Amino acid sequence: MSPSTPQPLSPFIPIMLLFLIAVGVAAAILVVSGKILPGLLKPANPKAAKLTPYECGAPPLQEGARHRYSVKFYLVAMLFILFDVEAAFLLPWAVQYRAHLWTFWAMASFLATLLVGYVYAWGKGALDWER
Amino acid sequence: MLTERIDAQLPGAVLDRHAFRGDETVVVAADRFLEVVDFIFAEGFQLLVDVTAVDLEAREPRFDVVYHFLNLVSQARLRIKLPMAEGAAAPSLVSRFKSADWAEREVYDLFGIPFAGHPCLTRLLMWEDFPGHPLRKDFPLDGGDPFCSQDIGASYAPEARTLNP
Amino acid sequence: MGNLNLDDSVMTTRLDSVVNWARKNSLWPLPFGTACCAIEFMSMMASRYDFSRFGAEALRFSPRQSDMLLVLGTITNKQAPVLRQIYAQMAEPKWVVAVGVCASSGGMYRTYATLQGIDRVVPVDVYVPGCPPRPETMIYGVMELQKKITRETLMARKEHIERFYESLARQEERQRAQGLSSHQAVREMVLEAGAAGGQQIW
Repeated sequence: MSPSTPQPLSPFIPIMLLFLIAVGVAAAILVVSGKILPGLLKPANPKAAKLTPYECGAPPLQEGARHRYSVKFYLVAMLFILFDVEAAFLLPWAVQYRAHLWTFWAMASFLATLLVGYVYAWGKGALDWER
Repeated sequence: MLTERIDAQLPGAVLDRHAFRGDETVVVAADRFLEVVDFIFAEGFQLLVDVTAVDLEAREPRFDVVYHFLNLVSQARLRIKLPMAEGAAAPSLVSRFKSADWAEREVYDLFGIPFAGHPCLTRLLMWEDFPGHPLRKDFPLDGGDPFCSQDIGASYAPEARTLNP
Repeated sequence: MGNLNLDDSVMTTRLDSVVNWARKNSLWPLPFGTACCAIEFMSMMASRYDFSRFGAEALRFSPRQSDMLLVLGTITNKQAPVLRQIYAQMAEPKWVVAVGVCASSGGMYRTYATLQGIDRVVPVDVYVPGCPPRPETMIYGVMELQKKITRETLMARKEHIERFYESLARQEERQRAQGLSSHQAVREMVLEAGAAGGQQIW
């Protein structure tokens, strides 16, 4: 549809104003009931013992939740990013790949480069989940 | 009778025996105990029901470690008692019966009898640095807590708390 | 114009009253159930006795999300530091109800293994006797707690809880100084207090 004469903005201003007032009232309610009233009424008494991690009352088995994990998770995430970006580039190309004769071959060369990397990762065993 | 067979197979292992209404009890010396256990295992007594102990203060040796075995085929039960002096270590049955694991830990915790060959002999019911062994006769019932022994009536006189007044 | 009479439309009160009213009508329990009293608690939560009428339907088994610790059952000397840690991790304001005679005084277990009443290690607000107490008794106990909350000031509750944290600091100091486990440190503190006549360690 071709763009017609520009619509006047004035009938929409009251709606925008209503929206802003609604957002403002909601924000005010949240701030008052979440920050201001608790700030006045809540018993703020942080203690070291109170902030210890909960382990059913027993002393903690280890310090924190940081422990070593296998590198395979990192590899999967990294490979996913790479090939997901490749797929993202494929999408706009797919809309107008018929525009020129060489458009197809341009993308094919891009995919070929990535195919080399894929074969390398496969051959190196980066896709084997269990070693 | 089972005890006759034990005598025939392992002479001198059984120090004493008695039976009461079909329940047999044998008293075995600690150094022959494992042979007796292997023999009765072959006879069919393949379930170790419990390991416990008795503290007989006045007697020498002081403790009796008591084992209960069950024959799953003939449903016969056997009790074996091991007289142990204080500080002597009893042989552990963990390699033969899985149920001996915690039962022996409990006896160690409550009586202080160590078991030689147990993979992880630590206290089970009381905490690791608890001072003393609660089921010994010289351990006070209240654990040394004077609040526990406050007199709350004539029937709870302190003398009534011990079996050997 | 006449007198402006606001009596029917404005209610004045003290901050303590309002806050205590809100607190007492929304006591979220942490059922620290170790023994038979927990079964009676379950029946109290069920439909016939219906504890949720008191705003207590939200059962939270986490100390961070509850404000009333219901100790339901026998507490052994091995469990005592665990109970202290759970109470320490609860967010304020918090109240403790000792349900049953085992929690109140050790019950029928006057031995080396049983803590002779949880008031030796944590501050208790209401004791509900019984072995186990009937659900109506437990409800009566919580109603007495509600009356207690109505009477107290916010500052008094704060100070009451503060005393516990001081005793926790003393316990940790003793553990560090003598290299004891928490069980042994609490046990020694309990025995010393007992020698002075059954007093609390908090």
